[in-house]
Amino acid sequence: MSLSRFLGKSVLYLAAFSAVFPMVWTAINAFKNRVDIVTPTPLFIFTPTLDNFAYVLGRDSVAAGLVNSVIAAGGSVLIGALLGLPAAYAIARYPNRWSADIQFFVLSLRFLPPVAVAIPLMVIWLDLGFYDTRLSLIVTYTLLTLATVIWLGVPAFARVPKEVEEAARVDGYGPYAVFFLIALPIASRSLIGAVAFAFVLVWNEFLIALMLTTSDAKTLPIVASELTQLGRDVPWGILNASVVLLSIPPLLLIGILSGLLNNAFRRKSN
Amino acid sequence: MTSVKTLVSSIAYACLLASSVSSVALAAECSGTIRVLAQPRDGLTLLESHKDEFAKLSGGASFEIDYLNENDRRAKTKADASTIGKYNVYYIDEANVALFASAGWVAPLMDYYPAEYDYADFDPGRQKVATYDGKVWFAPLTGGGDLLVYRKDLLEAAGVKPPTTLDEMKEAVKKLHQPDKGIYGIALRGQRGSGANVWRWMPYFKGFGGEWFDGNEPKFNSEAAVKATETYLELFKYSAPGTQTGGWDESVGAFTSGQVAMLVESTPLVGMAIDPKSSQVAGKVGYLPPPTPLTGGGYGHGLAIGTKANADDASKACAGLFIAWATSKENEQRRLEANQFSELNRTSIMTSDTFAKLYGPDLGQALADTGKVTAVNFWQSPLWPDLGDRWGIILEELIAGSRTDIKDGLNELEGFAKELVARSQ
Amino acid sequence: MTSRTRLPAVFLAPPLLILAVLAFVPTAYAIYISFRNRELSRPDGSFVGLANYIDLFSDRRFVNAIGVSLTWELVTVTLTLLVAIVLGILMFEFASARQRAVLTLIFLVPVILPRVSAAFVWKFAFHPLYGIVTYPYKAITGQPLDLLSNPATALMTVALVDVWQWGLFFGVIVLKLLETLPPQPFEAARLDHARPWEVYLYVALPMLKAPLISLTFIKMIESLRAFDLIYVMTRGGPGIVTETLDMYAFSQGFIESGRISYASSMAVLMMVATTVIFTVIWKRVKP
Repeated sequence: MSLSRFLGKSVLYLAAFSAVFPMVWTAINAFKNRVDIVTPTPLFIFTPTLDNFAYVLGRDSVAAGLVNSVIAAGGSVLIGALLGLPAAYAIARYPNRWSADIQFFVLSLRFLPPVAVAIPLMVIWLDLGFYDTRLSLIVTYTLLTLATVIWLGVPAFARVPKEVEEAARVDGYGPYAVFFLIALPIASRSLIGAVAFAFVLVWNEFLIALMLTTSDAKTLPIVASELTQLGRDVPWGILNASVVLLSIPPLLLIGILSGLLNNAFRRKSN
Repeated sequence: MTSVKTLVSSIAYACLLASSVSSVALAAECSGTIRVLAQPRDGLTLLESHKDEFAKLSGGASFEIDYLNENDRRAKTKADASTIGKYNVYYIDEANVALFASAGWVAPLMDYYPAEYDYADFDPGRQKVATYDGKVWFAPLTGGGDLLVYRKDLLEAAGVKPPTTLDEMKEAVKKLHQPDKGIYGIALRGQRGSGANVWRWMPYFKGFGGEWFDGNEPKFNSEAAVKATETYLELFKYSAPGTQTGGWDESVGAFTSGQVAMLVESTPLVGMAIDPKSSQVAGKVGYLPPPTPLTGGGYGHGLAIGTKANADDASKACAGLFIAWATSKENEQRRLEANQFSELNRTSIMTSDTFAKLYGPDLGQALADTGKVTAVNFWQSPLWPDLGDRWGIILEELIAGSRTDIKDGLNELEGFAKELVARSQ
Repeated sequence: MTSRTRLPAVFLAPPLLILAVLAFVPTAYAIYISFRNRELSRPDGSFVGLANYIDLFSDRRFVNAIGVSLTWELVTVTLTLLVAIVLGILMFEFASARQRAVLTLIFLVPVILPRVSAAFVWKFAFHPLYGIVTYPYKAITGQPLDLLSNPATALMTVALVDVWQWGLFFGVIVLKLLETLPPQPFEAARLDHARPWEVYLYVALPMLKAPLISLTFIKMIESLRAFDLIYVMTRGGPGIVTETLDMYAFSQGFIESGRISYASSMAVLMMVATTVIFTVIWKRVKP
C-alpha cells in the first residue's frame, strides 16, 4: 500500500514538475546571455542580464503587437460579453422549442476548422478593403468570443437559484430588472470566468491572425512567432524573453479560470 | 504609438520632384515611417542605430524594419506584395527578382536612385543578379558565390590534403567523420526551400551537366539530377545533427562551434568563421573554391522599392533615397569597421586598405578564384520559387528517409512543373 | 406570465444574427471560390466547376494530410484521455484537499499558455544540441537526439506537447468529476475486498461514462486545432510527415503558392467532414 502510495505521489509530482518546469526554464533562459544558453551542459548558475527584455520591449513591432492584441482581444471580448451574456440568460431562463438547436448551433461553430474560416475571410476582407485592420480582426474574433460566452454563460445562469428570481418578481421587478439586478450579480463569479476564458482564447489565437494580418494589425502571438523563427545566429535569449512576455497575461488569469472550474463542479455535487 | 502605425505619408514637394527626378536626394522632403520587410542582417541592425542621420538626410522620415527568417521573408514579401502591399521597401533576392519585377510589385530602382550614390560601384557580379529584363531592381546588401571552408587542424592531424575535386572531398569527409568525438564530416542543408536544401543541391546538379528547362519544356528529369541527388544523399550520412531539417544557420552554427570538418557554403561563412566573436574555430580555418565539378551558387540579396505602398512618385523617391542611403559607401564603411564581412558589396570598399588589413590577401584571392566558377544555378523565371520550393519538399523527404525513390520524386516534380507552366500561360 | 415578455427575442436576436452572418457568409464564400481558380496574386479567376475537388484526390500531399490529421486526432485524443484519467484517479486517491487545490492550479498552466509559447518552449527543450529534454540522452550516449527531424518521431513529439497541454487540464476535470460521485458504491466495493484499481475500473469510471464521453468529444474538437503547434515546431516537416490538413491548406492558400481556390476546396471538404461527423456523434451522445 505504501509503495503504491509512493509511486502514485511520485507520478503526481512528476506531472506537476512537467507542467511548470518548461515555462520556468524558459523564464530563466530569458535572463541569460547567448553564451550561457548555447552550452553543451544546461547552466543553472550564470550572471543574469536584462538585455533580452530590454531588446524585446524596445522593438516597435512588439509594442505595436501588444496594442493590437489588447485592442483585438479587448474589443471582441467586450462585444462578446455585451451580446453573449443576455443571450445566455435568455436560453437558460426562457427555454423554447429552439433552445436545444440554438445551443447546438453555438457549439457547432467550434466544429469549424479555423483554417476553413480563415481562408474565405481573408478573401472577403481583401475584397472589402479591410484586410490587415484591427476592425476585421475584432469582427472575426467576435465569432469566437460570442459563441464561447454564450456556451459557458448558459450553465452559469442556470445555477442561479430560481427562487431568488421569483422572489424578486414578486417584489415587482420586471424581466429586465431581474436580469440586470438579480441574475447578473449572483452569477457574476462564473460569468467573469467565462469572459476571462474567451479573452484567453482570443489572446492566444494564432492561425486567424496569421492569415488576416500582414503588418498593421499583427497581434502579439504573430510577432512572437516571427521572433522565434528568426533563424540567423538564433538570438535564443530574446526568443525566450518574447515568449515569457506573451504568456504573462493568460497566466495572470489562471486564478479566475480555476475559480470557474470550481464553481462549475461545486454546484453539481450539492 | 500612433507614429508607429502611421502609414507612410510622404508629403513631398511633388511638383519639384516631377520636374527633376535625379536630384531627388536634395529636394526630397519625406516624412512618416518607411516600412521595410527584410531578413535579419547585421548590416541592417547597424543601420537602426543611425536613424537620426536618415531623418536629417530625408527631411524628417524614419524607418522601421520587420525581420523574418529567409524562408518566411520570401513567403511574406510575396504574400504582402500580391495582396495589399503595406511595405515600402522589400528585401528581395536573385531567386525572386524575376517574379517581383514581372508582376510589377517593385519599381525599377534606377528611376529613383540618386545618382550621387554611385550604383556602378557595386561588385559587377551583384549588379548582374540585381538585373532582370535589362533593368536594375535592387541595391545589394549581400551576395557572392560558394567557398569550400575547412578546418586546417583536423585535416593536418588526419593527413588529408584540402580537396580540390568532388571525389577527394568525399574521401576526406568520410575519413574526418568521427561522431563519437563530436566531429562530423560535413554540414549540408536539409530544410525545404528553393533557397535552402535546393540551393546546396544545385551545384551538384549543374556540375554534373543538368539543365532546368528548354523554353517551356522541363529538362531537369535527367541522369544529372539523379546522380546529384544520390551524391547529396550519400554525403548527408556524414552531415552534422540538426542539419537534416536545417538551413544556412544550422550549418554555420555547427561549423563555427567546431563540430564540422569541412563544408561548401556561401561566401559570408568565411567572414563568420574567422571572426573570434562568432566562431570557436577562428584561427583554424582554410578556404578554397568549391571542388570541381561543383559550380558556385551565385546570389545577391538587396532592397527594392515596393509599388503598392508607394503609390506616387514622391513616396517612391523617398523609398529610393532610403535604399541608396542604406547601401551607401558610408554605411558599407561602417559595416567594414564593425567587421561585418558578409555585408560588403562595393568595389571601393573591398579593394580598400582597411579591407586588406582586416582580412589579408588570401581571402581576396579566394574570392577572386571562386568568382570564376560562380554561376546561375537556378531557373531564371518568375515561376522558379514555386518549382524550387516543390523540389525542396521532395528533397527533404528523401533526406529524412520518408521517401526513397529518387526517380519517382523527379517524375512528380516534372508533372508539377508542366502543370505550373500551363497554369501560368 | 413571464413567457409574454419580449426579453428572449430582444436578448437572442442580435447575437444569433451576428453569429449566423459570421458563420454562414465565410462558409458560402468558401464554397463559391472553391469552384473558381482564383489566386492570391490574381484577384480575377474564372469558374472551373469541380476541377479543384478532382485535383485534390490525385494530390499526394492532400491524401497524406488526411492520414496525418486522422493519426493526430487518434493519438492526441486517446493519450489525453488516458493521461487525464490516470492523473485524476491518482489525485483523488493520494492527494489531500490542500494538495488538490495546488495541483489544480499547476495543471492549468500548460493549457492556458498560448500555443505558440508552448510550441516554442518545447521546441527549444527538444533542441538536439542545447535542449534540456534531450540533454540526459546526449550526456549518457554521447549522441545527439533529434526527435523533430526524424520522420518516425516528429509527429509523436508534437503530439506530446498537445497531450501535455490538455491531459493535465483534463486530469483536473476528472478529479472534479470523481469528487461529485457519492461515496456509498466505493465503500460497498471496498467491503467486498475489491482492490483499489478494480474499484475505479468497475465502479467509478462506469459511473462517469457520460461526462467522459463528453470530454472525449470536446478533445476531438480541440484536436482540430493542431496548426499552431505544427507551424512553430516542424512546419509540416521533415518532408510532409507532420503536414496536417490545416497546415497543407494554409501553405497552399497562403504561404507556398497562394492558390486560394484550391485551398478553399480543401476547407470546404474539411467543414463538411467535421460538421457531419461531430453532429452525428453529438446527437448520439446527447439524446
